[in-house]
Amino acid sequence: MSAEYDVEFVEREDRDARFLVQGITPAFANGIRRAMLADVPTMAIDTVRFVENSSVMFDEQLALRLGLVPLTTPPVGEFVEDDTVTLSIDVEGPATAYSGDLVSSDDLVQPADENVPIIDLKDGQRLEAEADAVLDRGKDHAKHQGGVAVGYRHLQRVAAVEDLPEFEEPDRRIVRGVIEEDGELVPTSEFDHDLSNRYPGQEVTLEDVPNSFVFHVETDGSFSVEELVTRAADTIESRATELENAVQL
Amino acid sequence: MELRVTESSETELSIEIAGEDHTFMNVLKGTLLEHDDVSAATYDVNPEQSGGQTEPILTVKTESGVDPLDALEEAAVDVREKAVAFREAFEAAA
Repeated sequence: MSAEYDVEFVEREDRDARFLVQGITPAFANGIRRAMLADVPTMAIDTVRFVENSSVMFDEQLALRLGLVPLTTPPVGEFVEDDTVTLSIDVEGPATAYSGDLVSSDDLVQPADENVPIIDLKDGQRLEAEADAVLDRGKDHAKHQGGVAVGYRHLQRVAAVEDLPEFEEPDRRIVRGVIEEDGELVPTSEFDHDLSNRYPGQEVTLEDVPNSFVFHVETDGSFSVEELVTRAADTIESRATELENAVQL
Repeated sequence: MELRVTESSETELSIEIAGEDHTFMNVLKGTLLEHDDVSAATYDVNPEQSGGQTEPILTVKTESGVDPLDALEEAAVDVREKAVAFREAFEAAA
């Protein structure tokens, strides 16, 4: 039995996308979602060697903050677990140390955003440190989580049934996600998530479309949405292959 | 992925799948239930802090004449095919 999936993008940006998947079971949809959150490895700082830290924060606090800075994650195969990339930072006050001040030894691993504040340094304070970034999974630490807001909702089918009585006060009908309207996909944000705006004076029915889920995926900048989704599918595939081989023995 | 059979009979199999969590187990269970010869499939997993059995245990019951291990193998193949089909459909749309 091989499943037939149909994917269609509703909204699409580099780090943020909404797409409809048809023909997917709830179990598999949830597997993909969980894999995106916990099983796709990303780079993050894990060890920090402080040369000088005369700021108001302890070394440990700064190390945590540095760890949470999203780093771009190189393509599959460039790195394996246990490989490290060294980043250094040297900022002297009065100034704010930003993620953009991190200097990486590898072009493939750079801070995904330049404007994450690390510490505000006052006159005479200085931060100089060397940090090692490693590849790991969200399961082990949230800093390795590539997907920051990943979820799905049923696609909802809307149909107008009949006109409301003329003098009846229209009720608001709030719905979030994406609706299907005669085969067209419409994000609910287009009508302020309120069906009474789109169908004034009409009674509408709303039903979940079975096995059709609209995923909303947002990444932390480690990689694009496409990378995250394909890598999540790859992790499930590799575990299925592993099980297949283990059962055959 | 370490497998350890905890109970086994002609049509029923309990197997521990070490190192996995709900992500894979629920997909696998869902896929097993789609199988015509599988009459029941479930898995149980305890929290890490609970002590004792914390690895997931999958239980599969099959219709007579079908080895549950074969059903499990077929389900693994199905999951792999699903993942590949999903990735291909996604890449085609991307």
